[in-house]
Amino acid sequence: MKGLRQTGPLSLLYAFMDARRWCPSSEEVLPRRERPIGLYVLETGGCEGCFMEIESLKGSAFALEQAGFVCVSDPADADWLLLTGAVTRVCAEMVDRVWRAMPPGRSLIAVGACAVDGGPFPASYATLGGLQALTPVRRAIPGCPPAPQEILRALQELARI
Amino acid sequence: MRSMGRIIRSGERVALSHYHLDPAQWSDMLCVPGATLPLISCWADDARAYVLLLEGDRPILASTVVEDRRYLAPSSRFAGAEWGERVSYDLYGVEAMEARGNGTPALDEGGWTSTWPLSSRPGPASGGLRPLGGSHFLRPEQTGLSGPLDLSFEVLKGKVRAVDVCAGGAHRGVVSRLLGKTPEEAMVLVARMTAGGFVAHPLAFARAVAQARGQVPGPGVRDVWMILLEIERMSLHLFDMARTARGMDAELLATHCDHAREAIAQACAEQGVSRRLMDTVNCGGFREGLEIVPLAQAVHAAMQPSLAALEELHRVFASRLNGFAVLDVRLAERFAVGGVTGRASGRSMDMRRRETGMRLEALRATGSSSGDARARDGLRLAEIRDSLKLMERILGSIGLDDDEPAPDSTDEGIGVAEGARGDVWHWVRLKNGRIENLHVRDPGVSVLPVLGAMLQGCPMERVPAALGSIGLSPAGIAL
Repeated sequence: MKGLRQTGPLSLLYAFMDARRWCPSSEEVLPRRERPIGLYVLETGGCEGCFMEIESLKGSAFALEQAGFVCVSDPADADWLLLTGAVTRVCAEMVDRVWRAMPPGRSLIAVGACAVDGGPFPASYATLGGLQALTPVRRAIPGCPPAPQEILRALQELARI
Repeated sequence: MRSMGRIIRSGERVALSHYHLDPAQWSDMLCVPGATLPLISCWADDARAYVLLLEGDRPILASTVVEDRRYLAPSSRFAGAEWGERVSYDLYGVEAMEARGNGTPALDEGGWTSTWPLSSRPGPASGGLRPLGGSHFLRPEQTGLSGPLDLSFEVLKGKVRAVDVCAGGAHRGVVSRLLGKTPEEAMVLVARMTAGGFVAHPLAFARAVAQARGQVPGPGVRDVWMILLEIERMSLHLFDMARTARGMDAELLATHCDHAREAIAQACAEQGVSRRLMDTVNCGGFREGLEIVPLAQAVHAAMQPSLAALEELHRVFASRLNGFAVLDVRLAERFAVGGVTGRASGRSMDMRRRETGMRLEALRATGSSSGDARARDGLRLAEIRDSLKLMERILGSIGLDDDEPAPDSTDEGIGVAEGARGDVWHWVRLKNGRIENLHVRDPGVSVLPVLGAMLQGCPMERVPAALGSIGLSPAGIAL
């Protein structure tokens, strides 16, 4: 990006034009579905690195929505639950509450090493050691933490299944 | 006339900055009239209770024996000690006598496999989760933070009056996992304590270990560490600014922050290190193969062109942040709130200034000290500019020698790193080359006691935006 060429009212216009220039090209995106897949993201006690990378993915630098996904703030609107973190024992109830609030047809995806088996935080007095302590993990995105591009690519792969 | 520092130094010196006090000296320290040294952290285990204080810009650690699971509460003198006392009770079952506050759990919300799990005599599990007190709640998934934090509120006419925090959801037992490991083995986990300090935490730990071993990192290592910390600072400042901007519907500013942060991450990845610099710091220095000069140049080239646009957009949207989530300077001083949050209130504490080899001429960031979200974001931008200047200065004279003397090896050390969100402290004691004891203080801990004051009068629906502008990391607070 070039820096703003001048200050004052025109600078806003330049800033907006720069933001428009960052829109992803069409070859980077998948064909649109009838309805985007709703993603609800839940951190359950990790270093927060995976959660922050998903937050980057949700931001303006990536084309999450053009790829057919939308992040939702209410689990009742979600199709997929993206879970990050090692699943502390305190958070198990939260995972259950969010999962039950999701509509039928829901899917659970572990994002990052911690979410699968605890990664560097295996089972202890405070942690369950990842989702595998609660349920078989069928869908996972590896990494510590996975980059937003890797998460997006994996989500697109999962959407094709 | 006796001062708090003098009383502490009357105890038995057991390490460079650590004094053992007998119970009478401990009591004297807590009761001595006159100025109170700023408290960095308070903690206790089965054997001893500790307070880590700042004397000038130097740390001084005082500890006393825990008898019959009890010790005289530091919070009777240091208001900010309450959180550490509650954590210590949850983990070790040691009780702070005459403590202030309501003594509610800080970490143990129920659900653990034992009570006082780190104690030599742990109790049976307490069963299911305990309900939190308070009339209003933000569930952990509703706070807008990057990790789970339980917040309960007293609310009057829809506005916050008081806040209570429980961080059990984010507690992973990090300290218990590190005990008994060599520092080198521990570093893998230290590097994953919190994404709010992928560099800052390992760096504070490495400095503590170096002091314990009686070592001083060479000027080349020191300069690499400084550059890595500045890269992390810019990235996290952009993250916190983007989150604050979104909370205020300033999407254009958030967009520019997102892209600048991503540009830094890609520059790091292209130079062969992780996007967020995880695993780049180790006890002896830095990751093998790390080429700091091209990395610093690439990051500088990625960030510098974005700065003017960010500053202009901040000016456009800043009025939306006026008077939002204000921290008064007296509270910042009293609770030793550091980082951007403290400095934007007027508490001028930046631990980088005491570092040997620091190019002080690059650290010029000043700005409003109104303590609100506008001041914090303004300071973040100024600090990004400083980070770029600092990297230029270091690249211009990288590895220049100095004559910092090595301390004596005492198997005990204190390390600090001025991270993006404040001063990160690690205390470590080694025995036969392994970690016998350890304490970690994330800067988020110092914000907890002032959170109620910062959110007072804030409508409940704007609390997530306020928390975003403060830059709290539950993972760092709870460990």
